[in-house]
Formats: sequence, C-alpha cells, structure tokens
Amino acid sequence: MIFHPTILALFTGSIIVSFMILYSASYAVQILRKWDLKSGSELQLVLERKTYLISTLLAYAFVFQLLSFFLFIFSADQLHTFFVGAMCAAGSLYVNSYGYPTLIFKLVNFLLAGVWLIFNRVDNTGYDYPLIKKKYWFFMLLVPLILFETWLQGNYFLRLNPDIITSCCGTLFSADSNPVASELSSISSINFIMIFFYATVSLAVISGVIFFLKGKGAGFFSGVSILAFITSAVSIFSFISLYIYEMPTHHCPFCMLQQEYGYIGYPLYLTLLGGTILGTSVGILSPFKKIESLSRTLPSLLRKLALVSAGLFFAFLCIVTIRILLSNLILNG
Amino acid sequence: MIKLKDVRKTFNSGKPNEFVAVEKLSLSLDAEKTTVLMGPSGSGKTTLLSLIGCMARPTSGRIWLSGKEITSLPERFLTELRRTTFGFVFQHLNLIKGITALENTMLPSYPLGEKHAALKKRGMELFTRFGIASKANEKTESLSGGEAQRVAIVRALMNNPSVIIADEPTAHLDTRLSGELLEIFSRLKDEGRTLLISSHDPMVCQSVLVDRVINIRDGKIEEERS
Repeated sequence: MIFHPTILALFTGSIIVSFMILYSASYAVQILRKWDLKSGSELQLVLERKTYLISTLLAYAFVFQLLSFFLFIFSADQLHTFFVGAMCAAGSLYVNSYGYPTLIFKLVNFLLAGVWLIFNRVDNTGYDYPLIKKKYWFFMLLVPLILFETWLQGNYFLRLNPDIITSCCGTLFSADSNPVASELSSISSINFIMIFFYATVSLAVISGVIFFLKGKGAGFFSGVSILAFITSAVSIFSFISLYIYEMPTHHCPFCMLQQEYGYIGYPLYLTLLGGTILGTSVGILSPFKKIESLSRTLPSLLRKLALVSAGLFFAFLCIVTIRILLSNLILNG
Repeated sequence: MIKLKDVRKTFNSGKPNEFVAVEKLSLSLDAEKTTVLMGPSGSGKTTLLSLIGCMARPTSGRIWLSGKEITSLPERFLTELRRTTFGFVFQHLNLIKGITALENTMLPSYPLGEKHAALKKRGMELFTRFGIASKANEKTESLSGGEAQRVAIVRALMNNPSVIIADEPTAHLDTRLSGELLEIFSRLKDEGRTLLISSHDPMVCQSVLVDRVINIRDGKIEEERS
C-alpha cells in the first residue's frame, strides 16, 4: 500500500520538506540571534544574502504544504477501496489512530503556511527586510508543527493494515455517534446554523469589499473571516453535506470529494480555506502599514488581498447556495 | 554622495586561492565631481568600481549612496537602483555583436518599461549629440574603436544616470581619441553628473576635469590628491 503513487508522492514530498525546513531553521536561528542591519560584519552580509535562499526554499516548501493537504485527502479517499467498511476518506483515516491527527495537523499547517507565504511576500516588498524577525519567529513556530505532521503522516501510512475492518462515514458522522453531532444535525439547530452561516459569510464578503474600498476595518474583516471559517466548517457538517448528498442523515465532509458528487468538495474547501487565509492575513499584516519601507506597497496589497478573499468567500457562498437550490432535498418543507 | 566604510571584498573566501581585492577601505566621494582611481593591474580598481556601482556585493562593510545604505538592499531594489543611478562604461565596452549600435544602447532601458519609439528617439538624440548618428544602424562589429567607445557612452547615458562609472576608458584608444573622450566626460561633468573613472593613463589623471585622484594598491588607498 505504501507504493500507492499518491502515498509515495506525499511521503517523499514531506520528507524533502522536512529536510528543507530543518536546513532553513538553522539559518533562522542565526537570523533571530545575530541579525543587525546596522552592522556591516561579514556574518550580517552573509545572512542578508542567505535570507533570499532560505525564503525561496521555504516558499517552495510551504506551497507543497498547501498542495499536500488536498493530496492527503485525495489519497485517503483513494485508499478506501483497500479497507473493509470504508466508503470514503473518513473510513480510511479511521484505520489507525494517526489518520485524523494527521488531517488536523495538515489543516492547521495549511492555514499557517498560507499566512506565512503572504507574510514572506510582504517582507520581500520592503527594501530593509521590515518583517524579517517576525517572519522567522513565525517560521520557528511552524517547524515543530510540520515535523510532527510528517511523523504523524509517516506513521499513518506505515501502519495501514488492510486486514483492519474500519467504520464508514455513515457511522462516524451520524447523529447517533456523539451528542455534538446530534445537536448540530437537529432541524432546529440547522435553521439557526443556516442563518448564522449566511450572516457570517455575507458579512465576510461585505467587510472585505468595504476594506477594499475604504482601507478601513482590517481587524474586523479578519475576525469575521475566522468566524466565517468556523461557521462554514460546522455548516458543512450540519446542513451543506445534506443538500449535496440529498440525504437527511449523511453528514460526511469527505464523500463530497468523490467523482459521484462532481468533486464539489474541492472547490468548496479551496474557496473557504483560501478566503480564510487571505482574510486573516489582512488583519495580521495591517499594523505593519506604518513601517516606512512598506507604507507605499502594503496598503494596496492588503486591499487586493481583501478583495480576493471576499471573492473567494462569495464564490463559496454561491457554490453552497446553488447546490441547495438545485438539490432535491427539502429540509424545511 | 557615495560613502564607503570598512569595505572588504574577498574572492574564493576560505579556499587556498583566497584573494582579498579590496581591504577595509573607507572613502567618501562628492557629488558632481570627477574622481579617478589609479593603480596598477590587480590593485582592486575594477572591484571597487563594481562595489560602488552595485555590480558586486562586499564581503563586509557598508556603502551609502545619497545617505541611503545600499549594501543591504535586496537584489530587486539593487537592480532598480543600478538601472536608474549608474551608467557603466566597461573596459572592454561589452557591446553585443550582431545587433545595431542603436539597439545596443536601447537594451538597458527596456526593463524600465518605456515604449520602443520613445527609446529610439532618445537614443538617436544621444547619437546625434555625440556625433555618431550615421552609425546608429550599423552593427557594432563594424564600428571603429572610437565609435564603439561613444556607443558605450551613449548606452551608459540612456537611463540618464547621475553617476557615470568608467573602467579604463582610454585603454584601447590613441591619444587623439582619448582627448575626444575626455572632452565628452567634461561635458557630462558640466551637466552635473558624478564621474568615477579607473585609469592608469596619465592623460586622464592629469586632465583638468579631474577633481581628485586616488591611488590604490593591493586593495588599499595608498595616497590621494586633489
């Protein structure tokens, strides 16, 4: 099973990324300890040159990190045919105790890597490395998370045992499986969640557009983006999945990634995650507008980020709404 | 205008063939003045010109241009600065064969995004000014030494730089052509440009246009006179 092409790609990619990150971390430590732009020392000049190599390496590593999230879900989905009881990625991930932790770490690292890439992009627009220390502190936070994810993923793939009978998504995400799931899938909750979903995602779109037009409310927009992400994640489980599958009891967040449902999960998750990363970045980066070397470029970049983020949230909202309108399932008769 | 502090440039650092081209050199160059770097071959003149013109980075030390520190600039900004501030006249001219003299001079301006017609117009104006308008559409390999030298100067001036850096500009010219070149440099100085010339030609060093001569040996300033 380890010789499955996607597993090999993920396995090899993650190991290479881990080495790149460890190599970069050694320089990051030097940058954090010794960086002094006022000094003309040989070490400082070497670090100034090296930071290019390092940030380029990291940009590639983190782009892989973004891709690997979807590749991992795709692999898990492809693997379900090997396990008795599995119907989609939900069952494959449940085969051993490393599956879901790997997925959670991949998601967290996906979001953080995305924000880091934007951070790096902004730092590169300044002539005096304005965010260099912050960028590398942020990177150092990511180092253990990505290494741990590689370890988890390795364990998950190496411990896949086709003799194990796993559970299907129908069991794992059923309302009977746990009280939270039960609460989220009750009709009264669905109505409330649906209203809250449309309110928060619409607010994310509107606040993004307002920020684009007026350049104000970065913090609010970021906060709403995060809230919209959480609400959307809950909504996918609570009611969006029901409309996609046209079944009132099927809450699986993975089956929608299959061909049977037109791979709708991919654009759904891509727009949601993309909107969240860009929206969050706007709030995180906004305080740096006052830095002299960024004062010319950052405001316009933030506006563009906000507009793209709002666009992605809007696209997400459209996909969901169209799917609900076209669905044969009627929940609120 | 240009200030260097403790600038050092080492090649093949840490290897058996390590070579220190510029050794802890500190220097200040005034704007709108002509400075000549004088010294024997291998004394570090060309390296120093490359460091000042942002063509190379020092191993240690800092360089300031108009009060702004430039050694730490990321490559992207350095390229922009190089394009807009410095005009280079290389020792071997570095004209590209196979294309015309005018096309050669237009090349450094293309990345700045100007339109072809505007560049051509400006190029022709400079060709006319330096008396080589008739040579604009000739391939560079068919030009004489003096004509090629002027084309190289036109190319250096295309982006209207404030600093002209010329490396051994009279090395391949006879006395008459050297005299003509110094006249051109004199006009450039009168326009308010800063000239930095490396040369061991006495004709250049003793020219009236030169404000300062700095003698360099083994990467260090040996003596200087105004």
